[in-house]
Amino acid sequence: MAKKNPIKAVKDFWYGKPHTAEEGGRRLGELYEDKTGLLKHREWRGVKDTFYYMYNIWGYNYVHMVLDILKYSNNPIDFVKGTWRYRWMGQTYLPVIHWFERGLQGMRGEALEASAWHYRAMVSASIHQICNFFNADTRLHGGKQNEAYKHTIYANETTCGTLFYPWKDAGYQYLPMEMIPYFVTCHVNSHTVLNYIDAVQSIGLPGDPCPMCQAESGLFVLDDVPDSAPIIITCNEACDASVSTHTLQDWFANKPLFALPIPMQFDDPLVKKYCMNEIEEMWKFVEEQTGVPFSWESMKKYLERQNKLQRDEWEKWDVASKTDYYPINGVAQALFRIYSTQYGIQTSCWEEASEKVKKIMYKCVEKKINPFPQTRHRVIAWSCMDSLMFDMEIRTDSYENMLEDMATYHMWAPMRRMAVGGMHHIFELWDYMKRFNCDMVAMYDQLQCKGMQGVHGLFEDEFRKRNINAFWIPHALPDCRTVSRAEISRAEIRRQINDYMTTVMHEEPLDPSLLDFDDSMTW
Amino acid sequence: MKKLKKALLKFCLIFVLLNVGLFVIFFFDLDGKLLFNVVEPFLKKHYDNMERKDTLAEPYDLDKFPKYKYD
Amino acid sequence: MKDLKHLIYFENLLQEANNELVKQAKAEGKRAIGYTCYFMPEVLLDLPGCFSVRLRAPGCTSPDIATYYLSGRVCHYARSLLERALEGGYNFLDAQMGTETCTATCRFQEHIQQKHLDSVEDMRIIDNDDFFCTFTDVPFKNSENSYQHFETQLRAHVLEPLHEHFGIDISDETLVKAVEDHNEVCRLINEIGEYRKLDNPTITGYEFHVIQLVSLCCPKYLILPYLRETAEEMKTREPNLKKEFRCKVVLAGSENDDPDFTKLVEGCGALVVCDRFCYGAVESRQPIVLEEGKSPLRCIAEHYLKTSNCPRFMPQDEMRARKKRLADLAKEYHADGVIVASNKFCEYWSYERVIDTFILKRDYGIPVCSIEKEYINSASGQLRTRFQAFVESIEIKQIQEDK
Repeated sequence: MAKKNPIKAVKDFWYGKPHTAEEGGRRLGELYEDKTGLLKHREWRGVKDTFYYMYNIWGYNYVHMVLDILKYSNNPIDFVKGTWRYRWMGQTYLPVIHWFERGLQGMRGEALEASAWHYRAMVSASIHQICNFFNADTRLHGGKQNEAYKHTIYANETTCGTLFYPWKDAGYQYLPMEMIPYFVTCHVNSHTVLNYIDAVQSIGLPGDPCPMCQAESGLFVLDDVPDSAPIIITCNEACDASVSTHTLQDWFANKPLFALPIPMQFDDPLVKKYCMNEIEEMWKFVEEQTGVPFSWESMKKYLERQNKLQRDEWEKWDVASKTDYYPINGVAQALFRIYSTQYGIQTSCWEEASEKVKKIMYKCVEKKINPFPQTRHRVIAWSCMDSLMFDMEIRTDSYENMLEDMATYHMWAPMRRMAVGGMHHIFELWDYMKRFNCDMVAMYDQLQCKGMQGVHGLFEDEFRKRNINAFWIPHALPDCRTVSRAEISRAEIRRQINDYMTTVMHEEPLDPSLLDFDDSMTW
Repeated sequence: MKKLKKALLKFCLIFVLLNVGLFVIFFFDLDGKLLFNVVEPFLKKHYDNMERKDTLAEPYDLDKFPKYKYD
Repeated sequence: MKDLKHLIYFENLLQEANNELVKQAKAEGKRAIGYTCYFMPEVLLDLPGCFSVRLRAPGCTSPDIATYYLSGRVCHYARSLLERALEGGYNFLDAQMGTETCTATCRFQEHIQQKHLDSVEDMRIIDNDDFFCTFTDVPFKNSENSYQHFETQLRAHVLEPLHEHFGIDISDETLVKAVEDHNEVCRLINEIGEYRKLDNPTITGYEFHVIQLVSLCCPKYLILPYLRETAEEMKTREPNLKKEFRCKVVLAGSENDDPDFTKLVEGCGALVVCDRFCYGAVESRQPIVLEEGKSPLRCIAEHYLKTSNCPRFMPQDEMRARKKRLADLAKEYHADGVIVASNKFCEYWSYERVIDTFILKRDYGIPVCSIEKEYINSASGQLRTRFQAFVESIEIKQIQEDK
């Protein structure tokens, strides 16, 4: 047994172990229990960061998970009833803190602080949605359609919340039907979603359509979507399967449903007028169903807040692209952006988090603190789904300008900004590599996304021609069974990246314990 | 004064014990272990055995809803 | 039944996209305009000076290079088209009128575009200096806004490019004449198709499928004489005294330009009396009605949106009406059941097939056989078993009803 160096032991106690492959480094992989991904013990990050994590992240968020329920719920008992009623709720809500753990592993100082604020905002917004579900759910209220039910508008999760600001001040709540039951659960606890995929396949759907759409349909097949709104808005974002998902949802929900189609060829200036008309028709539907007219004041108020959030994001991107001082990790960055743009300004949590993060970010800039000092490469993660969607402000100087921008905004929605309207959009990768000063590409290869699969060969050709370092991460979103499990398990994804780094890049890992470990049963 | 001192001491003791307890839960991931090994299996069993509506029996009416057209 | 005079000729025309009649039209100086989707109005591609060719890739069983480009996880039809294009099989095309109506065929068409801005090196798959490809945005609804939009799109992305590139006359008068010619094809196909409604039909589903396909893949003015002659021949065609089928079915589903698939179904005893699939005649051969007070282009735009039963239509009433439409077709054609066939990786039809399978049976009492198939059906043994079982189940049902 190697002799312990007391000075190093004191240093490790005070600062945490260094991030190095040398003897005495962190070896984070050894903290995991076999298969479950649970921790034998949490990492000792040094005195300051360990206790910051314990009090300001772990404890703070546990407490706020309760406080948020008290804040947003009309009756906390409904929350308990909902947890008992819905699988996606019960199995997902409790492991939230482990989601933080996975996202903040190994981080220190400003990176730990700032990234955790992004997570905190996502959790708060999720609780806001969950409470709105349960406040209005007829199943939790003896079949009664209460006021909350009458004031809720359901929309497909890819129909952005921005469209519903005109009714927000009149007390109407937009709820993306599948964002919590499907999208969020995949991040927090991947055990639940397979039930929904199995459910829809059990009625005859083949296994090859996009697993996201399968799960969105499966929620309805298993009757696991709360009955919280009298009407539904659907849209065609982003793909053929999204359109088709609504045929099943319409059957099982059996409610007034308005379809909001968005043009595919969005570069074409001729499509804008059509798109504006479609949006206005949708607003007429909401007016007709709610009996409440469109409010320009309400629209303007929330759009201005949204624009401010967009400008904040640009400020953050600017620092991320031009300096080494950006304190948010990739996952916290991408998810925050996706959650916030999709849900919109339904709560103030995004703005609050953004302010806090900006403060930490400018501290890093001023004091030249590099929160990720061991960074060797700047990698752009690329796919149809990314945090660059909705990359614009919406003018609020007149209704006409707002509507025109709203059409563009909606056409740049999730998964379609890059995936439809001509393949040159997905090849905007080259521009974004320059913009964010990246030297490597991680291709998220969603095996069941027909649009992305349809450009696979051209990407391979272009990577070779341009001499770009790129590795592929094959996956089927939350479903690791569609192709052989070994091919897209977490362990296999790690192996593929590690192999690339060692065999192509000839680099040594910073933490060899993370190369290979079994977390096949983890959340 | 003595009483106050005693109360203060008691408070400090409770505070320290509470924090030590919390630290043990935090550091050894006891919350995660409880949720993973006890709570989730229990809930899973409950959801697996739950009676659910036969959604395939849902009617598919042609004229229940009007055409939502606003030309 | 006596063999149709031109059937073998028609079958030969379907062996390749650049067939004898296409070559003849090209030799006469006409421009060949390719398309894949029903939403691209063929009537606009059949204006004087050009002719439409709905793309097929017959006999393409292993699209290896296309699989490198599109991966093995997109529809076999799109991959086969790209493979055929890479082989040079579509070099005769002067233009491709693209639609982003389903992802896979859209990606195929994007690959054959000559220019992808600066993002990707030009592959120049279609070796023809004149070749260009445009995309038309197709709406998802039947509404005034959609009709207006579609008309604008067709003018900007079909008519004007044809005029600019090839000097095609796109005046209203020419469009009216093109509609008349198109309706003549429709009239003949429908006349031939009417015999499928007889108690003992005088035409098989296979024969009709072949006839319908040649009308889509050959220059109309060259195929018309053959269609006329076939329609005449049908008037006196006698059915077999003994019915050679055990039941009649409607064949519905996604892209199907493979008459051998219809033959496979019929070989199992199910006569295909109605074809409600992409490339079928139920929608595409309804005559276009020109209304007074509306431009011909507007009427054409409306026609193609109103007649389509594609599962990409999103409004609630249209989604639900599609099922009834299928049930009505089964009734109109005296079919005993419906076969719903989706191509593997076709997301639209994967979902539509699920719901059709339940609703047609439950709400309309129509037996449904739900299958997934490839573009070229090499797994015919497996499918044959499915169809035979379906035919038997229909027969058992009939016996039980007779009791």
